[in-house]
Amino acid sequence: MTEFHSRSSGGTGGSPPGIRRSSAAGGGGKKGELSQPAGWRCLLSFTILFLACVCGFISRLFAVIRFESLIHEFDPWFNYRSTHYLTTNGFYEFLNWFDERAWYPLGRIVGGTVYPGLMVTAGLIHYILNLVHLTVHIRDGAGLLSACFVAVVPGYISRSVAGSFDNEAVAIFALQFTYFLWVKSIKTGSVFWTVGCCLSYFYMVSAWGGYVFIINLIPLHVFVLLLMRRFSKRVYIAYSTFYIIGLILSMQIPFVGFQPIRTSEHMAAAVPARQTDAAGQTDYVFCLCLCRCAAAVCVCRLPQQHRLDRSMERTLLFTWDTGYAKIHIPIIASVSEHQPTTWVSFFFDLHILVCTFPAGLWFCIRNMTTERVFVVLYGISAVYFAGVMVRLMLTLTPVVCVLSAVCFSSVFEHYLSDELKQDDPPAEDAADEDDRRNSGSLYDKAGKLCKHQVCEEGLGSNIRSLVIVLLLLLLLMFTVHCTWVTSNAYSSPSVVLASYNHDGSRSILDDFREAYYWLRLNTDQHVRVMSWWDYGYQIAGMANRTTLVDNNTWNNSHIALVGKAMASNESVAYDIMRLLDVDYVLIIFGGVMGYSGDDINKFLWMVRIAEGEHPRDVRESDFFTPQGEFRVDKDASPALLNSLMYKMSYYRFGEMQLDFRTPPGFDRTRNAEIGNKDVRLKHLEEAFTSEHWLVRIYKVKDLDNRQPLERKPRVTSTNHNHKSRKGSRRKRGLVKNKLVLKKGRKLNRKRKQTRLDSLQ
Amino acid sequence: MWSAGAVGFVLVSCCFCSSLSAEGLLNEDVKRTLDLSSHLAKITAEIQLANHGASRVNSFTLALEDELAPHLAFIGASVKGEEEEDESLELKETTVHGQSGKFFEAQFPSALAPGAKLRVKVETVFSHVLKPFPTHITQAERQLVVFQGNHYLYSPYPTRSQTTRVRLASKTVESYTKLGNPTKSDEAIEYGPFKDVPPFSQDVMKIHYENNTPFLTISSITRTIEVSHWGNIAVEETIDLRHTGAYLKGPFSRYDYQRQSDSGISSVKSFKTILPASAQDVYYRDEIGNISTSHLQVLDDSVEVEIRPRFPLFGGWKTHYIIGYNLPSYEYLYNLGDQYALKMRLVDHVYDDQVIDQLTVKLILPEGAKNVHMDTPYPIARSQDELHYTYLDTFGRPVLVATKSNMVEQHIQDVVVHYTFNKILMLQEPLLVVGAFYILFFTVIIYVRLDFSITKDPAAEVRMKVASITEQVLTLVNKRLGLYRHMDEVVNRYKQSRDTGALNSGRKTLEAEHRTLTNDINALQTRLKTEGSDLAEKVGEIQKLDGSLKDLVSRSCQEAERLVAGKVKKDAYIESDKSLSGRRQELVGRIDSLLDAL
Repeated sequence: MTEFHSRSSGGTGGSPPGIRRSSAAGGGGKKGELSQPAGWRCLLSFTILFLACVCGFISRLFAVIRFESLIHEFDPWFNYRSTHYLTTNGFYEFLNWFDERAWYPLGRIVGGTVYPGLMVTAGLIHYILNLVHLTVHIRDGAGLLSACFVAVVPGYISRSVAGSFDNEAVAIFALQFTYFLWVKSIKTGSVFWTVGCCLSYFYMVSAWGGYVFIINLIPLHVFVLLLMRRFSKRVYIAYSTFYIIGLILSMQIPFVGFQPIRTSEHMAAAVPARQTDAAGQTDYVFCLCLCRCAAAVCVCRLPQQHRLDRSMERTLLFTWDTGYAKIHIPIIASVSEHQPTTWVSFFFDLHILVCTFPAGLWFCIRNMTTERVFVVLYGISAVYFAGVMVRLMLTLTPVVCVLSAVCFSSVFEHYLSDELKQDDPPAEDAADEDDRRNSGSLYDKAGKLCKHQVCEEGLGSNIRSLVIVLLLLLLLMFTVHCTWVTSNAYSSPSVVLASYNHDGSRSILDDFREAYYWLRLNTDQHVRVMSWWDYGYQIAGMANRTTLVDNNTWNNSHIALVGKAMASNESVAYDIMRLLDVDYVLIIFGGVMGYSGDDINKFLWMVRIAEGEHPRDVRESDFFTPQGEFRVDKDASPALLNSLMYKMSYYRFGEMQLDFRTPPGFDRTRNAEIGNKDVRLKHLEEAFTSEHWLVRIYKVKDLDNRQPLERKPRVTSTNHNHKSRKGSRRKRGLVKNKLVLKKGRKLNRKRKQTRLDSLQ
Repeated sequence: MWSAGAVGFVLVSCCFCSSLSAEGLLNEDVKRTLDLSSHLAKITAEIQLANHGASRVNSFTLALEDELAPHLAFIGASVKGEEEEDESLELKETTVHGQSGKFFEAQFPSALAPGAKLRVKVETVFSHVLKPFPTHITQAERQLVVFQGNHYLYSPYPTRSQTTRVRLASKTVESYTKLGNPTKSDEAIEYGPFKDVPPFSQDVMKIHYENNTPFLTISSITRTIEVSHWGNIAVEETIDLRHTGAYLKGPFSRYDYQRQSDSGISSVKSFKTILPASAQDVYYRDEIGNISTSHLQVLDDSVEVEIRPRFPLFGGWKTHYIIGYNLPSYEYLYNLGDQYALKMRLVDHVYDDQVIDQLTVKLILPEGAKNVHMDTPYPIARSQDELHYTYLDTFGRPVLVATKSNMVEQHIQDVVVHYTFNKILMLQEPLLVVGAFYILFFTVIIYVRLDFSITKDPAAEVRMKVASITEQVLTLVNKRLGLYRHMDEVVNRYKQSRDTGALNSGRKTLEAEHRTLTNDINALQTRLKTEGSDLAEKVGEIQKLDGSLKDLVSRSCQEAERLVAGKVKKDAYIESDKSLSGRRQELVGRIDSLLDAL
C-alpha cells in the first residue's frame, strides 16, 4: 500500500502536495525518537520510494523466475533485433539500415520507420555497462531495462515485465516525466523547466507513437486554462517555449519528420498557440512572440500545401469512431490490442482503483488549481482512450494511480487525524506522545488541503477504525490481486506455453521455438518464409529468415496478397507464392493441443483483408456455410475446404487419433471432426512440424521438371519385379475395386429399398 | 633416443630398398578387429612381433593405408604384457620412402633380442569413413553405409598368419567382399586366416550394410574454461552438431515420426552428455533461450544430462547449443605458494562415440596470472593468446587458445596449466568496488556540502538561516514540553510515594532546565529579530504561552502537594486537576499550532 502511494507521488508531477505527505504518513508507523521531523520525513519518503523501486523491479522478474530470461510477445523481437543491430553497427548505420529481411521483396527502411527511443536507451545502457566491463548481453539487458521503470499496477505491468522489450517500457516513463516537467514549468514559469519538458518530450517522441497524446493534452490543458481565466504569464511562457522547441525536436525523429505540421492530429497544438498569442501579448515576451507568430503562420500554411496524410487521418478517425475502422481497415481492427476495452479488463487491470479513481477525480475538481486541471484533463481523456483501445489502458494507469492515491490519502487523513486529536489528551508515555505529536504534525500539515472539514466532524472511534480497517483490507486485496495478475497473467511469454500435468508438475510446450530454430539452422540463409503477419517479427528474430509481411503493418496490399494466397486454393496460391518467391510457408495450427490463437481462427481476418484488396477473387461469404457459420467439419464451405490454409493445417491430421473417445481427425480447438480428412498437396510438401503440431512449415516445391532427362530414370528392380509379377489383370486394381463397387451399389440399392420398405 | 630414431629411420628406409625382413621383424600372428557398429571405424590389431633378424631391434613401424590415413582420429599402441598392465608406447610419425600412407614409429620398452617375441596391440579410430549409400534417404528408409578398407593388416613387415573380424551394426548386409570365403554370423563377418602375406599388401574390403546408429558429428565446439580464484571454475561449451548420415530426402512427417516406431530410425532424438560429478548450475540453451527439453540426473560419479535438441536431427540437419556448468575450483586447482596448476579435461564427453571435427579450447585465467605454461597429453595447436575483459577487469585476463581437429573419445584426457599468481591481486576487484563507492559518496558529500552557485542570493541565505534557527527553536520548545511531561510523572510518582524530597528535587531540576531552555529560546528569538524575520513575534508569543503553561505546571504541582498534605479533598483536587489539564491541553495545542506555523 505504502509503496503504491509513494510511487504515484514520486513518479508523477501531477499529484497535489498532499500525497507526498501521505507517503510519509503511511510509513509513519515506524517508532523512534523523532528528534528531527524534517530529516525523518525525508528519510522515510526516500526509503519508501526506494522500496517501491525495489518492489517494482522485483515484481517484473516474475517472468524470469517462472519461465526464463526470454523475449515475450511479437514486437519485442523486432526491438531486440534492431537493438542488436544498433549495438553491433553503430547509430548512423542503424539510421540508414535497410532491412532486406522484412517485407520481401519491398524491404523496410528501419531507421526511418521506427521510434528509436527504446533501442537507443538499451544500446546506451549496454554501451555504458560494457565500458566498465560489465558484460551484459543485450539479451539479458533487455529484460532488466524494462524492469527499471517502476509501477505495480497490472495495466502497466502488462507491457513492462522483464522480457517484454517493448517501446512502452520506456515510453510510459517518458510520458510521466514529460507531464511532471510540464506541471513544474507551469508552476514556475521558468524556461529552464520547460526546456527540460521539451527534452523529455523529445525522448517520448523517439520512443513511442503515443507522443500524440502529449501534444494534444498539453494544448488542451492550456486551452481549458484560458477558458477558466486561469491563464497567466507563466502558462504563456511555458506553452510557447514548449510548443516551439517541442515541435522542432520532435521533427528530428526521422519517422516523425514533418508530420507535426502536416497531419491533423497535431493541429490541436496550434489552436491554443494562437489564442495564447492574443491573451499574452506583452512586451515582456515580445521576442518570444515573434518566434511564435512565425511558427504559427508556418503551421497554418503548410497543411494547405501538403496533402494530409490519409492513413494518419484514418488512425485519428479510428480513435474517435471505433466503427469506422472495422468497416474500412480490417487490418487495424484485426489486432487484438485494438479492440475496445471490456469492463472485465478494466477491473482486471485496475482492480479497486476503478472505484477510487472517480473519487480522487472529485477531490481534485473540488479545489481546482492550475496543476489539478491538468490531472483532471489527463484522467478524463485517458479514460476515454482506454475505452476505445485495450492498448491505451497503458496511458490510463498512471493517472488512475495518482487520483486513487489522492482519494486514499485524503480519506486516511480525514480519519486518522481526527482520531489523533481525540487521542492526544490522555497521554501517558512521554516517548509515545512525543512520537504521536510529530506524526500528528505531519497529518496536520497534510490536512491543510481539506482543513475546513477535518475540524468539525466528530466521528466515533469505532467507525473510524472500521473505515480504516476496511480501506486497509481493500488495499491489501489490491496488492494481492496485483501480485497474482503479475505473476500469472502477464508474466507468461506467448512464445512458450506451459501446461500442468495431473500430478501438478509443469511441462513446457516449446513448439514455437522448436520450429523457428529449425528454420534458423536447417534452411538456406536466404529463403523467404511466408506466414501471417503476426509471426513476422518472430521469424525475423528467432529464425533469422526473410519474411513477406510482419507486425509493422505498413503495407496493406502486401498483407492482402498473403491473405489471398492463404485463402485461395492450392494452384492459385502456388502462382502467388511463385510470384513472391516463397520458399517456405509457416502456419500455426492448434488443433492437436487445443491452442485457440491459431491461424484457422484468424483465418476470417485474412479473408477480410484479402477481400479488401481483391474483392473479385476472395469473398468472405464463400467461407461461411449457408447457415452463416464458420465451421471446419463436413458442413464447411467448399472454399474453406480447398483453401491453402485449411489444407496446410489439416494435412495428415485426418489420420491422427488424439484419444480413444474422439474419431481420428478431431480438432480440439474447434471441437469438430474435420471435413476433409484426405488432404493432398500438390505444390507443397511438409518440411517440418513441431512436436505438438503447433507450427507447421511447408516447402514450396519447384515447378515440375518437364525437361527430358538425359539418362533414363533408374528403375529399382524390386519395384519392377513387383509390378510385373502381378500381371496386367491384377495391376488394374481399379477394376477390382469397380467390381466391388458395383456389387456394393446394387447391394446398397437393395438395402435402401429394403430400408424404405421397412420404413413404409 | 635421437640416434636410435635415426638408426631406425635409416633401417626402415634401407629395409625397404632390399627387403624388410632384413630388419628381421615379422608379424607372426595378427588378429584384427574392425568395429563398424557405430559411425566410427575402430580398428584394433593384436600383433605378435617376432625378431627373426640377427641384431636387436629397438623400434618398429606402424603403417596406415593411404585411403584411411586422412581420417585417422586416434592411434595408440601398447605392449600386451603377460599379466601386468598394458604399457602404452610413444609414437612418432615418420615416413617410408616409396610407400604411400602414414607411418608411425614406436619404441619397444626394451630392445627386442633376436628370436624374442612381443605382443603389441594397436588401436586406431577413424572418423567419417563410413559413407552413407544411398546418400539421400526418405524418412521411412533405413540408412545403409559402405565401408572400404583393407583385408590385410597394412604393415611394413611380412605377416605369417592373420585373421580379420568385422563387427557390424545390424544383421542386414547388402554386400561384402568375399576374399577367402569369409563366414558371416549374426552381426559379424570373419575373414581369414590369411597365411604369409607380404609387406604392404592391400586388398580392398568393401562392406555395404545397414547402420542406424546416430551419425552425429560435432562440427565445431568451443570450450571456454574460466578460472576464478574465488572458488569457481565456469565451463561453457558452444556446440555445433550435425547429423552426417544419409541426407533426408523429401518431407518430414511428424505424424509418421510419432506413430511409427521405425520411422526416421536413423534420426537422433536425444543423447546423453556426462558432466563431472561436481558440476552445478547446469544450463542448456541456445541463441533464442533455454531449451526446455532436457533432463538432469545426478549420479555418484557424474552428472548426466539427457540432451534433446529442439527438434530431432535427421540426415543433414544441424543444431547449435550452449551447455555450461560450474565446478568448485578446489577439485581442479592446485597451488603451492604462488604457483598454481589447473588440471582439467581438455575436452569432455558430449555423447558416446563422439567425433569432434574442430575443437577450440579457451582457458581464461585470473587477471594477473603470469608465466603460463600448458602441458597437453597430445599435440595441440596453440593460437595467439588473447585478453578477456569481464566484470571489474582492468588490464584483462590472459586467455590461452588452443585448437585441434578430428577428435574422438580417446582424446578425453587431462591438460595441466601451470602459472603463477600473486595472491594480493585478489583484493584488487573488491578494492575497486570499494573505491568506486567511496568516490561516489565523496562527490555527493562535496556536492551537498559546498555551494556551487555562481550568484549569491542573500534572501535565500537569510531564509536558510531563519530556517535553521526555527529548527533549533522547535527542538528547544519540544524539549521544554517534554520537561513538563516529565514533571507530571514526578508529580504522579509523588502522589503515590509521598516523597517530598523527590518532588522538590524534580521541581528544582525543572526550574533549572526550564530556565536554560527559555534563555536559549530568547537568545534565538533575538537572533531571529536581527535577521529581520517576523517569526520572532511568533516565538515571543510561544514564550508568553509557555510562561502561563509553566504556571499551570507549577500550580498542578502545588495542588498535588496540598492533596498529599491533606489540605484539599480528593474530589476537589480531581476537579481542579481536570480544569488545569484542560487549560494546559489548550495551551499545548496553541503552542503546537504556532510551531506548525513556524
